Amino acid sequence: MSMVFNLEKVSVSFERYSVKQRSLKYSVGRLLRNTNNSHFQALNDINLKIEQGENIGLIGRNGAGKSTLLRVLTRVISPQKGKIFINDQLHLVPLLELGIGFHPDLTGRENCYLAGLLMGYSRTVMEEKMEDIIRFSELAEFIDEPVKTYSSGMYARLAFAIATDVRPEVLLVDEVFSVGDEFFIRKCILRMQKLMKAGTTTVFVSHNLDFLVTHCNRLIWLDQGRVVMDGEPTEVALSYRAQQGHF
Amino acid sequence: MLALHFIWYYTLSHLKLKYRYTSLGVVWNFLEPALYLGILSLVFSVVNRMNIQDYVVFLFSALIPWRYLERAVNTASESIVTGDWLLKKMYVSPFVFPVIRWLVAGVEYLFSLIILIFFLLLFKEQWTSHLWIVPLAFIPWAILSLGLGMIGAVLYTFFRDIRQIIQLGLIIIFFTSPILFKPEIFQTASLQARILQWNPVTYYAALFQKPVYYLSWPAATDWIVTIGLSLIIFILGASLIYRYRGRFYFYL
Repeated sequence: MSMVFNLEKVSVSFERYSVKQRSLKYSVGRLLRNTNNSHFQALNDINLKIEQGENIGLIGRNGAGKSTLLRVLTRVISPQKGKIFINDQLHLVPLLELGIGFHPDLTGRENCYLAGLLMGYSRTVMEEKMEDIIRFSELAEFIDEPVKTYSSGMYARLAFAIATDVRPEVLLVDEVFSVGDEFFIRKCILRMQKLMKAGTTTVFVSHNLDFLVTHCNRLIWLDQGRVVMDGEPTEVALSYRAQQGHF
Repeated sequence: MLALHFIWYYTLSHLKLKYRYTSLGVVWNFLEPALYLGILSLVFSVVNRMNIQDYVVFLFSALIPWRYLERAVNTASESIVTGDWLLKKMYVSPFVFPVIRWLVAGVEYLFSLIILIFFLLLFKEQWTSHLWIVPLAFIPWAILSLGLGMIGAVLYTFFRDIRQIIQLGLIIIFFTSPILFKPEIFQTASLQARILQWNPVTYYAALFQKPVYYLSWPAATDWIVTIGLSLIIFILGASLIYRYRGRFYFYL
């Protein structure tokens, strides 16, 4: 099995956001006084190896660093500290916050081509897949409308359809099941299962612990930017629930 | 290869989007520069008390590339910040954003070039072979625009105040360059003449004004100053983006 990700001592911190910090006056003042903004440590010394074919679930409370870790794996965020290896040979598809970079003014179809090109698939390939994507996302009537007119459910359906139709080798998913009706979620799960069976490496961020325990073969529990536990899903879920007081 | 396809497809989408909701659509690409140039030539020929026919040829020769530079720099400066819809969701090289805006401005420039040719056909009396140098004269302008656009994009991401400063800077440079008025109207040793001499845009303008209006070839100094400066600015812009590429996310 080949390595997909290897993170060594990866740390990410965010400057605490405030409106005044964006102004030139504040920046010059800060420079003169030689002070720094306060920081929020989103990831702290993370060591993580992910092999091809693994199906991983990331769990933790809000603000634990799950989404930041997923963004590091997609290279959307470059960590300030640590080393990171990402296998470039594999087709990696991210599905962050229910989207894959849709331009709000472009139509669903145009966004489909654009996202395809970004994920490494030519327009011809996307044209071939278009019918399937439309059918799966149930957006036949709306595919030529601008994405900004879509409801959050429609948006998520289109993103999920594109991300999974291209048969990625690595799929990173952040909370995909939080919108969409029950029927569509079931459809999504079936498709995920198919992809996993076919050997797609997956990393899920979800608060749906039952889904993760049933579908993943490894669970990672994050808290305050650190890995608390990493291992067999039932064991990790048990400890997580116990700590959260749900047991 | 696919990155190039992406840039191309996104540039086309941008151009389509611009006029998607207008009734006249693509006609605006011609109409807008034609109206702008028409009004400007009328007003300034009166202000400068010049023969309108002569003045239009002089003014348009350098104003067309200047408008291109202005458009490219202003839109490229905002490109990384307005690219957040993508930069927050997928990995994409930040170079892509200013390059796309620069290409869009380039296509718009081609449209205004057609208008320029139309006006020249109307007003220009003498046609000489010097005009063949014009496509080459555009190269230093293009490199400069991309370089400035990249610098602006990095600065604007970190300091949002910079947009107004860039616009102000462009206005100052424009009004201290010989695009609107001929340098001959000032005495050689006067302050105005000296300002013109030190404004690098004078050399950029010469690349267009000499073949189109003065019916001569641009001087070696014009080429050396413009190509040299453009390359320096371009390298500076590209290295700024490269250096700060990992930090943009935190400022979007």
